Amino acid sequence: MSTPVLLAKDITKSYGHVVALRGASLELHAGEVVALLGDNGAGKSTFIKALSGAIKPDGGKIEVLGQPVDLESGYRAQDYGIDTVYQDLALAPDLSLAENIYLGRESVRPGLLGKLGVLDRRTMAMDAGAAFSQLSVKLPSPRSSVAALSGGQRQAVAIARSVMWAKHAIFMDEPTAALGARQTEIVCDTIRDYSKRGLGILIISHDLPRMLTLADRFLIMRHGRVAANLTREEATMPRILGAMLGEEAPADRSSQPAQA
Amino acid sequence: MNSVLKTAPSPAESNELVDGPQVRELGRLGTLLGSTTFWVAVVNVFVIAAFAVTSPNFLQVSNVQNILFSGAQILLLTVGMTLLLAAGEFDISIGANVIVSSVVSAKVMVALAGTPEQVLAGEYPNAGNAIAIGVVAAILTGAVFGAVNGILVTKFKISSFITTLGMLGMGTGIARVISNGTNVANIPPAIQEDFGIKTYLGIPASAILVAAIAAVLWFALSKTRFGLRTLAIGSSREAALRVGIKADRYVLGLFILVGALAGLAGVIDISRFATTNLGGHEGTALAAIAGAVIGGASLWGGRASIPGAVLGALLAVLLQNGLVIVGLPVFYQQVAVGAVLIIAVYIDQRSTRRTT
Repeated sequence: MSTPVLLAKDITKSYGHVVALRGASLELHAGEVVALLGDNGAGKSTFIKALSGAIKPDGGKIEVLGQPVDLESGYRAQDYGIDTVYQDLALAPDLSLAENIYLGRESVRPGLLGKLGVLDRRTMAMDAGAAFSQLSVKLPSPRSSVAALSGGQRQAVAIARSVMWAKHAIFMDEPTAALGARQTEIVCDTIRDYSKRGLGILIISHDLPRMLTLADRFLIMRHGRVAANLTREEATMPRILGAMLGEEAPADRSSQPAQA
Repeated sequence: MNSVLKTAPSPAESNELVDGPQVRELGRLGTLLGSTTFWVAVVNVFVIAAFAVTSPNFLQVSNVQNILFSGAQILLLTVGMTLLLAAGEFDISIGANVIVSSVVSAKVMVALAGTPEQVLAGEYPNAGNAIAIGVVAAILTGAVFGAVNGILVTKFKISSFITTLGMLGMGTGIARVISNGTNVANIPPAIQEDFGIKTYLGIPASAILVAAIAAVLWFALSKTRFGLRTLAIGSSREAALRVGIKADRYVLGLFILVGALAGLAGVIDISRFATTNLGGHEGTALAAIAGAVIGGASLWGGRASIPGAVLGALLAVLLQNGLVIVGLPVFYQQVAVGAVLIIAVYIDQRSTRRTT
């Protein structure tokens, strides 16, 4: 396969005497949806936090597009074109869709008005509208407020925002946890749309049946390591559950660190 | 790779838009009818019409001037309060700030205007400089007062209610300590003649100043990055922080700004009657909050309108003036403003049904 957009090797992290990651590794390629699965305490959240730069790993290395990143000097995935969608969405309900998409990175008018911080709402609304039109989910006008959206639509906006600023990959932590079936379908459609446009997408989810229909590849974490790496064809519910619980020797140990 | 193709929205998703939660595509008229500012304006027009019909004196030039003279200060404080509410904070010490700032300013003016003997004799050889420095002193005192509020809220994480409640007591007490409990007299009358009772084309200078400040703040809140981020902090602090907005710096800045505006309101205070007004601001902060909320601001942040706040504050001023003009007890003003506040919030809550 081509150079992965993201490669993590032998990531370790301990909190005091609690070892959260014991050499976790993964590869994420452009255009694929990878589900990161595992029982509670398997290290999924710690792993994704280390990958996004929210925490600093004790050891291991991360490469973005083959370039090693300097973990010592406060690595932030955002600076490398990798955005994270958080579980609690983090949208401001009173602001419009376009304002939320651009919050913190607002477009301003050219010239003196821009120096005064005068917003270019027209451009923001147009660009946000263009981004929404590429989704198969219908969203109201970019100028309407987020408070008027359903949960699924909000999650779609949160994902659209990440996509707007992500160049290579997106991490998602439980993107469908709080949603009903139809809303979840909206979000999954959104995820598929974006993976087809060449982004690598890494999802933590507990929704196994949903992941089986959505993901291209499955990484199953156990005891702070990626214990199994299954393709779509290999991944069956019993096999995934087996790997999560450590009952079955995983078929593919290629992502297992050599030192283990 | 996953082989699902992008498809047109299924009927189920289209329904999402039609019967889905509160996605209403409003036309221009709909937007107008849904706007709190519009309805407050309607109520204002109704009140003006009612008083004008009842008393021929209400719309006379001298009375309109009167309304502007007495309304300038609370309008200024209300637009300031609106900015804080936008960010999800408020300041109930704003009236105490006005008193402290005006006392400090008055003391500075009296001390610099001339020797104590000259001042007692009604001579103010240095009036110009004294007033200029006094105005700066008022604004600085107000800003420092606001900065204390802001630092307590942002650095010490004390809620703005408790912080400003404490500062309300401290400010009121400090003002009385500085002034020995009596209003500062012998303020150079030039401030009254050249600003406090001055009119341009019949419009009070103080009202022109306040209108200019309100216009600037309206622009800042609704057209700039500063305004958008302020509203974002009020709407969801977490969302603002996630995208790298330094919420604490904004909140501290807003408290300082509102403090400086309170200092300026202190100047308006002493310029009108050439004396301080130690006992005159007990209801000021709540009146400013009421005006802002009637004008469409949410107490929980994220929504605020400067034009709405101006109209909300104006409504209280109109009622106060009009009831006197038509010969009704002025106490009805408090009843009416209280009722309007509750009705406005009720209507607002009904029209912004939220889904979570």
